[in-house]
Amino acid sequence: MNTQASMHTQQAAHRVLVIALVATGFACAAPLTRTAAAQDADISEETVEYFRLNCTSCHTIGGGRLTGPDLKDVAERQSIEWLTTFIVDPKRVIDSGDADAQALFKEANGLYMPTLPGMTRQRAAALLELIAYESTKEESRFKGLQISDRPLTQHDIDRGQRLFEGTEAIASGAPSCLGCHTIDGTGGFGGGRLGPDLTDAFSRLEGRKALASWLAAPPGLTMQPVFKDRPIEGEEVLALVAYLKSRAEAGPPATKQGPLEFLIAGIAGVMGALVLFDLIWRRRFRAVRRPLVKGTTR
Amino acid sequence: MDVRSQVSMVFHLDKCIGCHTCSVACKNVWTDREGTEYMWWNNVETKPGTGYPTKWEDQESYRGGWKTDGKKLSLRSTGKARIIPNIFHNTSMPSMDDYYEPWTYDFKELFNAPEGDDQPVAVPISKITGEQIDVEAGPNWDDDLGGSQIYARNDPNMEALTPNQRLQMMSIERLVFFYLPRICHHCLNPACVASCPSGALYKRGEDGIVLINQQVCRAWRACVAACPYKKTYYNWSTGKSEKCILCFPRLETGQAPACFHSCVGRIRYIGNVLYDADMLPEIANLPDDELVDAQRRMILDPFDEHVLEAARKNGIHEGIIESAQRSPVYAFVKEFGIALPPHIEYRTFPMLFYVPPLLPVMSSKENDVIDNDIDDLFADIEKARAPIQYFGSLFGGGNDGVVRYALRKQWAVRLVRRHLTVGDVTKETAERALAQADCTWEQADRIYRLTTLANMDERCIIPPFQREMAIEMMEDPHTHRSSVGFGFRNAPARGN
Repeated sequence: MNTQASMHTQQAAHRVLVIALVATGFACAAPLTRTAAAQDADISEETVEYFRLNCTSCHTIGGGRLTGPDLKDVAERQSIEWLTTFIVDPKRVIDSGDADAQALFKEANGLYMPTLPGMTRQRAAALLELIAYESTKEESRFKGLQISDRPLTQHDIDRGQRLFEGTEAIASGAPSCLGCHTIDGTGGFGGGRLGPDLTDAFSRLEGRKALASWLAAPPGLTMQPVFKDRPIEGEEVLALVAYLKSRAEAGPPATKQGPLEFLIAGIAGVMGALVLFDLIWRRRFRAVRRPLVKGTTR
Repeated sequence: MDVRSQVSMVFHLDKCIGCHTCSVACKNVWTDREGTEYMWWNNVETKPGTGYPTKWEDQESYRGGWKTDGKKLSLRSTGKARIIPNIFHNTSMPSMDDYYEPWTYDFKELFNAPEGDDQPVAVPISKITGEQIDVEAGPNWDDDLGGSQIYARNDPNMEALTPNQRLQMMSIERLVFFYLPRICHHCLNPACVASCPSGALYKRGEDGIVLINQQVCRAWRACVAACPYKKTYYNWSTGKSEKCILCFPRLETGQAPACFHSCVGRIRYIGNVLYDADMLPEIANLPDDELVDAQRRMILDPFDEHVLEAARKNGIHEGIIESAQRSPVYAFVKEFGIALPPHIEYRTFPMLFYVPPLLPVMSSKENDVIDNDIDDLFADIEKARAPIQYFGSLFGGGNDGVVRYALRKQWAVRLVRRHLTVGDVTKETAERALAQADCTWEQADRIYRLTTLANMDERCIIPPFQREMAIEMMEDPHTHRSSVGFGFRNAPARGN
């Protein structure tokens, strides 16, 4: 995805999307040119990218809490100093018994915010700047996807399968996944071969949240035009996530056919057909002259 | 009685010298075109031999002709049910290898070859690929280069012989061969016509010549497989099958077909016979050895008043009846009974008949002494070099009796002539021979004259084809009457 995005920016500098937006699929965010971003808040692209990769799976800006709290106007709730300290090493702050930190810890059901690799006070400051800048916006690009957190049921999996295979139409009229993708368990002929096999999509895309983000607004040159005007809605996304998750958890099937097996099966099939034809037409005319001459002169 | 006229032929094998003039005449007139290189509408085979295409008489392999279950005929090669699954792959089709790969020679090699130890030769070049080839087969291969141990030994007719007879035929002093010129037999019950999915083949009503309509032919090649004599050929260049047309354009203008016209040995006779088409269904399923006689019954006496009446009722013109009365074919086949159809057991009822060769004993070798056997030059036909059973397989549908009859009559005629011209055969011997051969002095004289003295006009009785009348059935000859003639291309008119 990053490769795709960077190609994108290299190729068309003036209409490039901010790399993070493309990669995470926040298609609703306003496109920013490189120069505009720099003027607005002197925020480097590297920071944006860092935020996307490390923060958005637990936080939104103005999108409500996920695992962690909504970061909109976080600077109004805590001092910059406190925040910077917390970001650099959350576990130490929590364990030190800081009351605010303890409260947050509880809210997160006892999950420590991880200590992020390569995190420095400098970087934390840059991130806070980004958050502050994003908080001023009507709608942040990190608003996040609003889908339910409810547990996924068998009902969701079944519905997801129907949506995937197209036996239930997607409400917006978007095409079903099977048109372009295949997945284990779709039966004899498999699905489409245009897109990649989605069996391990769930694990590839770092889980439910990111996958849901992807599905809600699929990025990419191929999918984006198809789904831009006909997005998959929240409950449908959830069902598809459930289905993809169940497939990923099922793991690769024991009898997964590789290209070699297919080749062998193909050759065996052809040989079988030839033997069959040979039997059906076994009384066909065969050469007369050459066997006669060979048989007599031998 | 459904009387029809059929242009029919007799080849007198005792007179054939195997010169292939007929083949070359035909080739030059009809098959000297691209795609027809391997076609020999007329070919001459050496018998015993495997012929052309190789071993064509082996219907276990080629599956030509008809087979019968005693009630009904069916084609060996195909059928209504089989034609569909096999339509894109005819399973009875001979390949080029069973004919031969046509070739020419690179004559430039004779002049341009670099100097070397050997005399340069013209290198054979394939007419299919243009590459140099090793010539392995040809249209008269067993005659030219073949070797009897390969080709004569594998003659399918040898199966009718005992192992001893077979051995005898191969031994050098008893070695026997004769030539068998072959063209399309223009059969009464042609398998090629029956097999065509497109209906491109037809038997002309007025003369029975079997033709392939080149506009209708769709290259299924079912006729190639179905013809037991392998006398239809596929032209790879035009994508149509072709066969002997009995030179109908020549016949229609009163000329003998090219092979008849050019025959050096004067072995070929042509003339029309009247036959009863109604008889065909009832005799078609008879046992093999009754077929020769049955076919003769079909051929009607052109002097019989009932026959003539039925013929006239069928619209057969007086001129055609008159020519049937003079037909040498009728004389050989019906009156004399010495001309026989080849392989009538294929049940196509061929209308080309052969007078079997007498092949008398010339010499024999016993205890290292070669006996010239002059005294017994015209010994009984049973002692002839070629066993009767061989001819029985080739010309009698397995019935040796009809062959014996034909040979004995020829033998009697020779004794009569020997008596009359040389005098070393007594009149009693000659008369005894005639009686044994069911022959009279008069008939012996007629056989002698028709065999040896007959000129072109007697050998080839071309019926008047009445094309000027036949064409009226299809188009009005007056259509262009006023539109041709003076000023046809640039009509004269006032002012120019």
